[in-house]
Amino acid sequence: MRQFLTVLKFELGNYFKNKSFLLTTIVLMVLAVGIIAVPGLIFGSRGKTEKSAEQAVEMSEEQAGQWEEVPQDKGEQEKYALYDVNGSIPDLSAFASAMGQNAEWLMCGNENEVEEIVNSGEAEAGFIVEDLLHYTYVVEDRSTYDTLQDTFSQAAAMTYRTKVLEEKGLDPSEIEALYQTQPESETRILGKDSAGSYAYTYMLIMVLYFLLIFYGQMIATSVTSEKSNRAIEILVTSLDSNSLIFGKVLAGAIAGLIQCVLILGSAVGAYQIFQDGWGGLLDNVFDIPVPVWAAFAVFGMMGYLLYAFCFGMLGALVSKTEDISKASAPVIMLYIISFFIAIFGLNDSNGILVRVASFIPFTSSNGMLIRVAMGSVEMWEVIVSGALLAAFCVGAGILAAKIFRFGTLMYGNPIKFTTALKKIREK
Amino acid sequence: MKLEVRDLRKSFGEKEVLHGISFSIESGKALGLLGRNGAGKTTTIRILMDVFHANSGTITVDGRPFHPKQFRIGYLPEERGLYPKKGVEEQLMYLAQLRGSSRADAKQQTMRWLKRLGVEEYAQRKLETLSKGNQQKVQLAQTLVCDPDLVILDEPFSGLDPVNSQILKDVIQEQIEAGKLVIFSSHQMSYVEEFCEDIVLINRGEIVLSGALSQIKKTYGKNRLIIGMGESCQDPGQALTDYMGELIRVVGRRKEQVIVELKADCTRELLLRELLERELVPEEFGNYEPSLTEIFVEKAGDQS
Repeated sequence: MRQFLTVLKFELGNYFKNKSFLLTTIVLMVLAVGIIAVPGLIFGSRGKTEKSAEQAVEMSEEQAGQWEEVPQDKGEQEKYALYDVNGSIPDLSAFASAMGQNAEWLMCGNENEVEEIVNSGEAEAGFIVEDLLHYTYVVEDRSTYDTLQDTFSQAAAMTYRTKVLEEKGLDPSEIEALYQTQPESETRILGKDSAGSYAYTYMLIMVLYFLLIFYGQMIATSVTSEKSNRAIEILVTSLDSNSLIFGKVLAGAIAGLIQCVLILGSAVGAYQIFQDGWGGLLDNVFDIPVPVWAAFAVFGMMGYLLYAFCFGMLGALVSKTEDISKASAPVIMLYIISFFIAIFGLNDSNGILVRVASFIPFTSSNGMLIRVAMGSVEMWEVIVSGALLAAFCVGAGILAAKIFRFGTLMYGNPIKFTTALKKIREK
Repeated sequence: MKLEVRDLRKSFGEKEVLHGISFSIESGKALGLLGRNGAGKTTTIRILMDVFHANSGTITVDGRPFHPKQFRIGYLPEERGLYPKKGVEEQLMYLAQLRGSSRADAKQQTMRWLKRLGVEEYAQRKLETLSKGNQQKVQLAQTLVCDPDLVILDEPFSGLDPVNSQILKDVIQEQIEAGKLVIFSSHQMSYVEEFCEDIVLINRGEIVLSGALSQIKKTYGKNRLIIGMGESCQDPGQALTDYMGELIRVVGRRKEQVIVELKADCTRELLLRELLERELVPEEFGNYEPSLTEIFVEKAGDQS
C-alpha cells in the first residue's frame, strides 16, 4: 500500500509539474470563464446587419427591452443600396422598420450603380427591386451567417400583404395580430425532458471522450517510456507490478478528474456570476440534476478506469513510444464506437441500441449516462450495469497488472495482445 | 548473513535456460557471477529479485526462505535506466522510498551518496543534462541510496573513466567491508579478481566452475609451469614439444612464454634437469597461475 501511494504521488507530481498539462488546464479554464463572461462578444459580433428577424422574434420581451435600450440612431445605422425599378416600396422607413433595421437607403438609378456602391464598400449590400415579390440581392462577400436576404424577403412579403389587404379594405394590423395569436399551453412531463437534458448530456459525453483519449494516451506513454528508458529495470525490482500499474492508472484518473473539475467548475462558477447576461440561455447546459452527476461520477469514472487499464496494458506491450499510437488503435476504435452509439442515442435515449449499450461494460459509461439523463431506467438496471462495469474494471486491472509484469522486461518488437495472454496462461 | 541458492531451474516456454544453478555468498564477501552473454546471469539475478519465478529450486538466507521484499536490495542493472527528464534528487528519493526508506531518510541518503560520488552539484538538474560518466554515478547512487543489505552490480564499470572507476572501486570495497552481500557481474575480469573472493561461472544455463577464486587459480595452475626460452628460440612451443614431448604437453602461450602441463611421473626438477642437459636453458621457469580471463575462456569458450 505504501509503495502504491509512493507511485501515485510521484505520478501525480509528473502531471502537475508538466508544463503542457498546467498550460492546457489554465488556458481551458480562462477560455471557459471568458466565453461565459463575455456573451456580448459572441452574439454581438454578428452585428445588427445579420441579426435575423427570426432572432428578433425569438427574443424574450426582457431581451427585446435590452436591445431597445441601445439607441438605434447612434452609430449602428447600416447603409444599403436600393434601386426600386417600379417604385414598389411606398414608405422606406416603414420598410426598414419591418426589417427590424435602422437602415439608411442609398437610392440608385440603375443596377450598375447598385453594384458599384456595394463593390466600393459604401453599402453593406444592395437590392434591385422589380416589385415586392421579385428582387435581386447584391452583396460583395456572402458570409455563412448572412440572413439579410431572408429579413428583406419577410419585410417585402409583409409590405405586400399590407398593400393587398388595404386594397381589399381590410385592416392589416388586425389580420397580422390574428396570425400572431398563439395558443397558451403548459407542459406536464411525467418522465424526462430530453430536450432540456440534451445539452448537458452531450457536454458530459464530450468531457468523457476528451478525458479518455487524452489521458489514455498519457498513461500508455508513461508505461512505455519507462520501458524505453529502462527505468522499468529498477522499478520492477523495487516494487510489485500491481502497485506500479494501479498507481499509474489511478494517478491519471485523479489528474483527469481534477482537470475536469477545475475547467467545468470555472465554467459553472462563471455562469453563476454572469447568468443574467445569458438570460437563462445556458441553463440547460449547467443545470445538471444530481442523479445525472452521480451517473457521470460512477459510470464515467469506472468506464474511464476500464479504458485506462487497457491503455496501461497496451503501453506495456510496446517498447518504443512511437509504437503506442498503433498499439492503442483498437482500444481507441472501441471507444469511438461507444462514442457514436452515445451520439446516436442522444436522439433515441430509450432505443434498443442504447439499452444494450448500457449493459456492455465498454459502452455502458456513455449508454447508462444517456439513459439516466434522458431516458427511462429502472434502479435494478443501473445496479446490474454498474456491477458489471465494476467487475470488468477489477478484471481489467488484474489483467493489466499481469500483462504489465510479463511485458515490462520484453524489449524489442511490440508483443501481440494474444501472445501475452497465451504466455500468462502458460504461467 | 548467508544467502544460498540451490538447484535453480527456469524455463521460458519449452526451453530450459537455467539447469540447476547453485551457489552461496556470505556477508562481507563479494561473489563474481560470470558468464558469456546469454549464459543466464541476468535471469538468475531476476529470480533472486523475484521478477521471474523459478520452476524449481530454493533460495534461503541463513537457512530460511528468502523473500526479497523483506530485504533492501540495491540493483544496478546492465541496462542502465532512470528518468532522463526528471531531476536527479527527485528520482533518487522516489526510488529510495519505493524500497522502504522514509522521506527524510531518502533525502538524507540521496544527498550523502551524491556527495560521496562527487555529483551533489547536479542534484536539481535533469538527468539527461549530465555527462555519461555522471549519469553512471547517479545510477550507482540509486543502487545504494536505500542502504541495501544485498548489492547486485551488473557491469558497474562500463562507461567510467579511470578516475571514476577508482571512486567506484572504493565505494564497492566500502560496501564489502561494511558487511554487505555483494554480487558482482562483469566481463572485465580484472575487476572481478580485485573484489571477489568467490566466483560462479555460468555457461549455457549451468555452472561450469564455482568456488574460492584463489583455490580455483591454484587448481588450474596445478602441474602447470610457465617457461620463457628467450629471444634466441624462434618457436619455444615447438622446441619444447620436440625435445620434451615425452615429459610435458604444451597447453598455451602467454606472450613469449609457453604454458606447459607436466605428464605423469614428471616433476619440475626432472624437467629442469632434462632441459639443461639438452642445453635448452630457460630464461623464465616457474609455477603457472592462470588469470581469470584464461580460466573464463577455457571454461566458457566455444571449444568448451
